Amino acid sequence: YQPQLLLIGVSSSDVFICCVSGIPTDEEQATGLEKIIMETMKEGKDPYNMLKPKSYSGTKEDPNIVPSITNRRIVAVSVSEEDNTAIVWFWIHEGEAQRCPSCGSYYKLVHYDLPH
Amino acid sequence: MAHQAHPYHMVDPSPWPLTGAVAALLMTSGLAIWFHFHSTILMLLGTVLLVLTICQWWRDVVREGTFQGHHTPPAQKGLRYGMILFITSEVLFFAGFFWAFYHSSLAPTPELGGFWPPAGITPLDPFEVPLLNTAVLLASGVTVTWAHHSIMEGDRKQAIHSLTLTILLGGYFTFLQALEYYEAPFTIADGVYGATFFVATGFHGLHVIIGSTFLAVCLHRQIRHHFTSTHHFGFEAAAWYWHFVDVVWLFLYISIYWWGS
Repeated sequence: YQPQLLLIGVSSSDVFICCVSGIPTDEEQATGLEKIIMETMKEGKDPYNMLKPKSYSGTKEDPNIVPSITNRRIVAVSVSEEDNTAIVWFWIHEGEAQRCPSCGSYYKLVHYDLPH
Repeated sequence: MAHQAHPYHMVDPSPWPLTGAVAALLMTSGLAIWFHFHSTILMLLGTVLLVLTICQWWRDVVREGTFQGHHTPPAQKGLRYGMILFITSEVLFFAGFFWAFYHSSLAPTPELGGFWPPAGITPLDPFEVPLLNTAVLLASGVTVTWAHHSIMEGDRKQAIHSLTLTILLGGYFTFLQALEYYEAPFTIADGVYGATFFVATGFHGLHVIIGSTFLAVCLHRQIRHHFTSTHHFGFEAAAWYWHFVDVVWLFLYISIYWWGS
């Protein structure tokens, strides 16, 4: 519930388009977070964590990359056995790759900024 | 700039859930006041408040989604789940009335004469207006699908035409049903036949009116360019609801109008 901030200068609830067949596309008309997500996904990025985290081999040379908008992030690892009964939770801090306390895989924090 | 790092929509504080709850309270207690003390003011006040709540709440959803871009793919997925769950609850609502109908009609009591339709009831001929109504709603199901494909293919003119046609067909159904109600030789007070007939078809008619209104809002939004060829969930929700209304009618027609005659 917000006042009509975004409609200043527009006299009605109309949206302006410039499209040939008459119905706009998301390309032309998406706005706000929907637009940001659409554009960054086209570049192959996922800043809003919509997709499953990428999996890496987890060795020291190829650690699991943990993206973060600050300098630390919680990681939850499902114990990689047939019958997964436990999840191991731990903080990853910026700096050298750290190891999972249960399975020993390497995790490395990588900072990124939210698009705005 | 304080920013969320997730794609969900954390809605701003809103007064509409409260006004909606107050409206529900006034309407229900107003109904009781009307029954016992012959005054309709409370119920009318509740209804006005309900209409105001509906308009402003959904106006805000349109602002948040179309004008502000808060309906990201995960947010849209949540809206889809919500609409499906709501329609499922409505299916169960109607299931109750069908249960009531079959309970009384499968084993008609001696008071009814031991047969169905009960003694003294002349049912409507299922092959007259009710059959026309069936054709009207089935046709409207075709036109609403036509409208959907027009939107997806980017054809504005056809989208507006087919959506308008859908709404007109819905209006025609309501008009025909109203005539049937006026001309029917039995009333809601005519035993269990009248009760099951008018409660089941009556609630269905109300849902046709609601569905037509939803489609009319979509028509207004389509004319105003709100929908894109890939993002038009408001329309999809209206179309789902409309198909649901059509299916309920088919069950009503087969059970009450045809088998029940």
